[in-house]
Amino acid sequence: MSMDWIWTAVGFLLTVCVLSYLFGDNPLFRLATSLFVGVAAGYAAVLLIYQVLLPRLVLPLLQGSLAERGLLVIPLVLSVLLLFKLSPRFTRLGNLSMGVIVGVGAGVLVGGTVLGTLLGQTRAAVDAFALQGTASPMVLLFEAVLFLIGTVSTLVYFHFGVKSRPNQPARRPSWMEFTASIGQVFLAVTLGALFAGVFATALAALIDRADFLFRAVQTLF
Amino acid sequence: MRAPVATAVAIGLGIVALLGYFVPLPFLVDIQSLLLSWAVILAAVAALVAIFNLVRVHVRKLRGSPPKQRGDGYSLLVLAGFAVTFLAGLLLTPDHPQFQQAVLAVQTPVETSLIAVLAVTLAYASLRLLQRRPNWMGILFALSAVFFLILASGALSGLRGLPLLGDLLGVVERLPLAGARGLLLGIGLGSLLTGLRILMGADRPYSG
Repeated sequence: MSMDWIWTAVGFLLTVCVLSYLFGDNPLFRLATSLFVGVAAGYAAVLLIYQVLLPRLVLPLLQGSLAERGLLVIPLVLSVLLLFKLSPRFTRLGNLSMGVIVGVGAGVLVGGTVLGTLLGQTRAAVDAFALQGTASPMVLLFEAVLFLIGTVSTLVYFHFGVKSRPNQPARRPSWMEFTASIGQVFLAVTLGALFAGVFATALAALIDRADFLFRAVQTLF
Repeated sequence: MRAPVATAVAIGLGIVALLGYFVPLPFLVDIQSLLLSWAVILAAVAALVAIFNLVRVHVRKLRGSPPKQRGDGYSLLVLAGFAVTFLAGLLLTPDHPQFQQAVLAVQTPVETSLIAVLAVTLAYASLRLLQRRPNWMGILFALSAVFFLILASGALSGLRGLPLLGDLLGVVERLPLAGARGLLLGIGLGSLLTGLRILMGADRPYSG
């Protein structure tokens, strides 16, 4: 009995267990997902040790130059402090390490968001008016204006700030309500397209599993 | 004030990391990359702490009262899966072909099957949406989904060569980008605000 046969059998059993969820939540599905959680957690732990901690912390501390070792003492101490997060009594000792992660993460988040998302997307919206493409200039202009309306109205749809007035229900200004309703149309189209993409992917996975089950039955029995 | 040292460190290091993006001074960029490498190490340790906490929760479930708590068998399976994978990975290294094959033999069928289950649940959920909320937004959403599924199938590819219709089809094909751009900008503004609140010390998610 080759190893491939065993792995095919494991794959077959797990596929059947997970697909059994189509008939409702049941012990087979929970069995497969519990095993998956355990294996995925173990794999993630091994990857973190071998691909991050060993090459970035442990090996440089053991084999690096004096300057390298000196700089790595700080993350080493912070890593040890972070382990105290496992203990409810000493959890506060890990706050400093969490502060470093959150602080650096926030700095990177703000920088990345401004340079990557906000400036990038705004520039893309403006660049559309350069009217460069294979289509006719009228179509390109129509597309650029339509996209600008779609982008702005979608943003307005998510603006929920209102001025409170005494004895009146809190409502957005009428122009904002109108723009938001246009945004709702664009949002429905976008979410529909996203849904179609996810559905097509899921359908491909379903076909793949059906094909795998068919081939596994031929191989195993 | 809760966790003043952690707050000061978070604000200080966050501002230095942020300056590295906007101030083109070599020493700032060097400090930023050093801080990032520390953050990567700490994030990995934090992820390990989270994994060991998961293990601890399941160990507690096994030991917990009442002794024969429902779901104990599943906790045992989680722990067994974790222990075997973790020990095998430590001994063999993650690049070992047989270790890879064993992990993939569990990961691939479960992940792909979960996505396959999603196909049925999505189809069912969309039908329920139309049944429960037959408003214009739901109908437009369904029409858009059906149109883009047909478009993805390539059934309309013959229209692309036509002079004006082909161009308009291209515009409609790219139309979701307008809403997606709005969503992305909204997410970006939300992220910016969250980051700035942390850098100003208004939010302190580390002072637990």
